[in-house]
Amino acid sequence: MRTAHLKKIRLVISLLFFFALLFLFLGIQVQPFSTLADILLRLQFLPSLLRFFAIFFSITALGFILVMILSLLFGRIYCSGICPLGTFQDIVIAIARRLKPKKKRRFHFTSNRKRILRYGVLSATIIFWVSGSMFLVNLLDPYANFGKLSASLFQPAYIWLHNALAFSLERFDVFILSPMTMHALPWDVVLISTAIFLTIVVMAAWRGRLFCNTLCPVGSILSIFTGKPLYQITFSDEACTFCSRCEWVCKAECLNSKTRHVDHSRCINCFNCLASCPNEGIRYAVPPKREKTLHQGEEGSGKRQFLMMLASGILSIPLISKPARPQGMSKPGMIPVESQKPVTPPGSLSHKHFTGHCIACYLCVSACPTKVIVPSFFEFGLEGFMQPKLDYHKNFCNYDCVKCTEVCPTGAITKQSEEEKKRIRIGEVRFLAESCVVTADRTDCGACSEHCPTKAVRMVPYEGGLFIPEIHPELCVGCGACEYACPTEPFKAIYVTGLPVHKEAVPIDDADGPREDDTDDFPF
Amino acid sequence: MNRRQFLRKSFIYSALGSVYASTIGRMPLFASRSIRSGAGNYDLVAVRGGEVVEMYRRAMKEMGGMEKYVRPGQTVALKPNASWDVPPERAANTNPDLVAAIVEDCLGAGADRVLVFDNTCDNWERSYENSGVAAAVRRAGGQMLHAHMERYYKEVSIPGARRLTSAKVFDRLRESDVFINVPVLKHHGSTTVTIAMKNLMGVVWDRRFWHRNDLHQCIADFCLYRKPDLNIVDAYLVMTRNGPRGTSEADLTRMRSLLVSSDIVAVDAAGAMLLGHQPNDIGHLRIGAEMNIGTTNLDALNIQRVVL
Repeated sequence: MRTAHLKKIRLVISLLFFFALLFLFLGIQVQPFSTLADILLRLQFLPSLLRFFAIFFSITALGFILVMILSLLFGRIYCSGICPLGTFQDIVIAIARRLKPKKKRRFHFTSNRKRILRYGVLSATIIFWVSGSMFLVNLLDPYANFGKLSASLFQPAYIWLHNALAFSLERFDVFILSPMTMHALPWDVVLISTAIFLTIVVMAAWRGRLFCNTLCPVGSILSIFTGKPLYQITFSDEACTFCSRCEWVCKAECLNSKTRHVDHSRCINCFNCLASCPNEGIRYAVPPKREKTLHQGEEGSGKRQFLMMLASGILSIPLISKPARPQGMSKPGMIPVESQKPVTPPGSLSHKHFTGHCIACYLCVSACPTKVIVPSFFEFGLEGFMQPKLDYHKNFCNYDCVKCTEVCPTGAITKQSEEEKKRIRIGEVRFLAESCVVTADRTDCGACSEHCPTKAVRMVPYEGGLFIPEIHPELCVGCGACEYACPTEPFKAIYVTGLPVHKEAVPIDDADGPREDDTDDFPF
Repeated sequence: MNRRQFLRKSFIYSALGSVYASTIGRMPLFASRSIRSGAGNYDLVAVRGGEVVEMYRRAMKEMGGMEKYVRPGQTVALKPNASWDVPPERAANTNPDLVAAIVEDCLGAGADRVLVFDNTCDNWERSYENSGVAAAVRRAGGQMLHAHMERYYKEVSIPGARRLTSAKVFDRLRESDVFINVPVLKHHGSTTVTIAMKNLMGVVWDRRFWHRNDLHQCIADFCLYRKPDLNIVDAYLVMTRNGPRGTSEADLTRMRSLLVSSDIVAVDAAGAMLLGHQPNDIGHLRIGAEMNIGTTNLDALNIQRVVL
């Protein structure tokens, strides 16, 4: 069978998948991309693995097993087809190739000695994870990084363009485009996302898929399974003329045309080599049984190396001190405020569950219609590096909205129905009467109570015919509408502090319908 | 680039643009029409005992018909309450059927365009859609406007105001010839009632300023900027507690009423009385009367009361 056209198939599939996920992050809903994105989200390796631990034996969490089976059979097709960051790098590589002088366009085989870096990074990532810190996962996972780049760089750019178009159309009284609200991203998050963006772009432009074979934890895990896949890139001793064309297009730099050897643990199955060969000297097939060669021995030692490192690492877990639990910021103000704990999205169950499962891919940040979910930097300490929280200075959590619970791929935010969500207490209201407009200025205000969906904040009679807020924390879902609406500056007189373990609110009695008033007279 | 290339490129880009706009755009815009008229010379019309649209049609007939307020070719700005992400049966927003009937009426009177907007409290897209108002406006042939960004508001000064001497006002309102205010009658936690005067808070960008600077005074002050030509108060389902958002249908009373007046203070006074309050007990009504924005003395007015 001719296999040269496999590259084209790979190209089509990877671009389809890439745009499906990109559109998901940008908030563009167009078929068939939306459906593809839903499927694809379940296949992302680390999100699916984490979801498996978050929601036991959920069928939606078995994507990683499928990926592992695929890898055993076909090699790392994940890296060239399913991984959005992989395709992003391919795009960078393709652009860089065009910009480079002709002589520098070629890739060259590099030996596998950097394994120590690759498995060292993987071991460190796993050790951090096992000891409860998502720091390295969130910094290195390819899907999470694609998400970070999308949410903090691509989406703002897209919104800017979309709004520019929308505003110019509105000038001509055409209102078919709705301008979108730009989220307010913290500068430190934008900074680190830019740094990640530049790192990946530079690595890809310089040495192809270098990131995937050194820093990427998913690439490293899959490489353990792909030492000897069923289908692999093999040379045909008869047809190959040692012309080296295949080596020059190998983005993973894992193909040695001199020795006719392919390092399958690093091969990302881009099939460039197949397309480059003028006379089918290289093929993708089940290889004939052979004697154990030197190269396979080498791969075996890689596995051993990794296991040794992992074992020694796990033994050293107790040495890594756990970072302190988030203390929250303290707000000085017109009135001193006790410390305010961060608020995590509804369905995230507790700070512990959330920080243990969130990989900071920012899909919830992109999807949130009110943009109240914003990335944080160290709000949750080192263990919750860059994970998002709810910022009630930007907006508040819409009472009837469950968008974030629907999109989260890792199970950090568990799925909730609207009715369930309305009962979840993610935070609790606090009121500083002395700071309130009503006591300070002696005028009516009530902005907090006005916005409160559960009447956990209600207005009660106060001196001089005024009304003052009264809080009922047992009804408060912690949506932050009161804090957002409160007009006092610079600090709010009413605010929400996060509940480290989410609770259930007292249900609102809605058994009765409207009362009838059949008076047929007017009071005036 | 030669001419052929230019033509080809402009064709491709405009095709791409229209595909983008039609797949992602959400607000189609087409009109349908109906006409009616009547006669009358009342300061305030109050109707009771009918269905929403039925009461509205009767009230407008008593008021002399929409033709009295809207001339052919004019642009109408319509401000309903569409502030909350709750369904119509919760009556936190203006009844969508009423909004649709008014839009149709304006177009029937020859209005060029009917522009409908609200600076919502809950998320704007969810509020527009779930209140049913956006769908009703589309159905009736009006144009729902985006009002969720500061860029849609322009600073204006308000001569004669005591506290709110300037405000950022929805810019398209300034360009409109006719201004129709369509609030829903509700209880309000801090201002006791929210009717026509309070509904105008959805016309400005910065509401926090009002809350910080004597809310009642600011509500009254803003009426000096531009009094609505017509105030149509939906009092069919009335939130009598837990306002202005409400927590369930148990907060409502079916009063089956509707009020229409050009006097924003008088219509609020009548609404307040429906809720069992004395108009002068409500801060912004008392101030409104004091500043001669309108009157709370309903006895001095020519009121048409209709029971269906």
